[in-house]
Amino acid sequence: MNTQLLPSSPGASSSGRPELSSATRPARGWFARQHRQRRLRTDLLTVIAWASVAAAIALWLADGGATNIASPASLFTAAGIVAGLAGMDLVLLMLLLAARIPFIDRTIGHDRALAFHGKLGKPSLYLLLAHGVLLAIGYGMAEGLDPVSESVNLWVEVPDMWLAFVSMALFIAVVVTSLVAVRRRFPYEFWYVVHLLTYAAVATSIPHQFSVGGLFAAGTWQRWYWVAICIYTGTALAYFRILEPVLATVRHQLTVARVETVAPGVVNIVMRGRKLDQLAETGGRFFIWRFLAPGMWWHPHPFSLSAEPVFNGPDGQGTLRVTVRSLGDGSAQLLRLSKGTKVALEGPYGLLSTAARTRNKVVMIGAGIGITPLRALLETTPFAPGGATVLLRGRTEQELYLGNEIFDLCQARGVRLFHLTGPRAHGQPTWLNEDSVRSGYSLTSYVPDIKDADVYVCGPAAWAANVMADAGKAGVPDDQIHHERFDW
Amino acid sequence: MKIRGTVAAALASAGILLVGWQTGTQVNGISTVASSTTATGTTGAAGTGSAGTGSSGTAGSSGSSSSTGSSSSSGSIGSSGSSAAGTYKGNTVQTRFGPVQVQITVASGKITDITALQLTNTDGKSIQISNRAAPLLRSKVLAAQSANVQTVSGATITSDAYLTSLQAAIDAANL
Repeated sequence: MNTQLLPSSPGASSSGRPELSSATRPARGWFARQHRQRRLRTDLLTVIAWASVAAAIALWLADGGATNIASPASLFTAAGIVAGLAGMDLVLLMLLLAARIPFIDRTIGHDRALAFHGKLGKPSLYLLLAHGVLLAIGYGMAEGLDPVSESVNLWVEVPDMWLAFVSMALFIAVVVTSLVAVRRRFPYEFWYVVHLLTYAAVATSIPHQFSVGGLFAAGTWQRWYWVAICIYTGTALAYFRILEPVLATVRHQLTVARVETVAPGVVNIVMRGRKLDQLAETGGRFFIWRFLAPGMWWHPHPFSLSAEPVFNGPDGQGTLRVTVRSLGDGSAQLLRLSKGTKVALEGPYGLLSTAARTRNKVVMIGAGIGITPLRALLETTPFAPGGATVLLRGRTEQELYLGNEIFDLCQARGVRLFHLTGPRAHGQPTWLNEDSVRSGYSLTSYVPDIKDADVYVCGPAAWAANVMADAGKAGVPDDQIHHERFDW
Repeated sequence: MKIRGTVAAALASAGILLVGWQTGTQVNGISTVASSTTATGTTGAAGTGSAGTGSSGTAGSSGSSSSTGSSSSSGSIGSSGSSAAGTYKGNTVQTRFGPVQVQITVASGKITDITALQLTNTDGKSIQISNRAAPLLRSKVLAAQSANVQTVSGATITSDAYLTSLQAAIDAANL
């Protein structure tokens, strides 16, 4: 195939030859067993999520919730209460999904957790709106008022209810700004700040749950459930999103060691730190970095490691490396990072790692800057010589970042490597270059045995979607396709 | 594999809901206390009030639910203005959680007992609130001898209705 080319010196990388760590052949059946365990954990999470909603309603029933339905008014009230309970439960599930709990991350991965978090947004808002409307109708009927004046009454008369109205407004704001169409119109920072209001929305909803609602009423079963789930959620958020990142930052004491140019607008940021042995096998996974320099410290950057951590000094001293392309203003500053800048980190997150493997064979397909995490994965993930294929896509050889390092790794480990360069094919949605399409090549031309391999995909969202669609057509089950968003 | 998870989750949820439902119907909800704190006060207070002696009152029915005896003994003279000993009902106040009505027992110009004839009861939560708030309000009012007491936090609707009905009863008793 004319696309199987040797790299023609893509940029100058001074990081030298990648050292091979103890990546070996996989033990027989290891990945199949890992896959079974991960599927079991996925099912467990599914059961927990559903059961928590069921439990919220069941406990209300157990406390005699349904025995008081005697009139249309009480029916509306009961329906309103159930909607509120289910809504609150979903909101807590959403917070847990966004809490970066290692068990969830290791089971379904950061991206799928957040995708699921996003999917729950609208349903939980609808439940909370139904909660308000149904209760206004139910209470109104009991008092002989229309729902609107009942709502006004609730606001004015019942303590803590005005907070509940504020909470509802905040929830609406959070969900609306997260709608794809709306979100595109605003900068990321605006969305982020509005999204932080979720905490305010939950906080303002809690007083009325104590004073008016039955969630925490003394002497009920519900009380213990809600106390437990609220405390767990709060603790998980505080620990995994605040405390653990602070501890990791203090533990590793990272500073910028050097910034190397890989290609125009693309740099390696090499950081020196200690106790990096604890981060072994994290190559390819991403961390959220904050470079603690004036004007930059508040800007979180999600970057994947583009090489396995190197540690050989005492106390696990060594270096980490990320490869970054300048996109927005925030990352343009990164090209000029000065040596010695302190770095805070959160992570590692995501399933672009050996933990996702289900088969002995592996295929890696990367485009542009998305190639760099695959470079790290290629270094460590176990496979037998001939058991791996790497496909790299870029407009030019220059855009196959770290291409020469990947070439060396492929040579050392016995990997088939294809460079797919050139312009995109016109007219049809494809991830391939024009030449390949014209020659009639498809995914299976490059990897005939792809059905029996794990497929790692890393690149821009639209491109990756095309790759995954092709992999699906080639008969690769969903479980074997591992994708990480890389359009930061 | 997604099917396995979904089926397991659906079954688990259905099971949990069923257990909850069963528990709920067997317990048959939580009943209002309105009736339980009632009767003792009315007749007891009327009795001591007319007898006019404190001794029997203090020694006697000092049950946990009514403190009639001790309070009636102090006011044993019985010459307290225009208010006559007896029971007075307040009006029924409608709230979104159900109707509220209280009755006071007056002896020697003092409120000696308060009985909740009706309390907020539309749902389990309202009943819980009532059950918690009613005894607190009762003791507060007995101590203050007026409807001018603080509402019970977390039970404002019930408290307001309780105290409104109580004020009507006090007005009726001319206290």
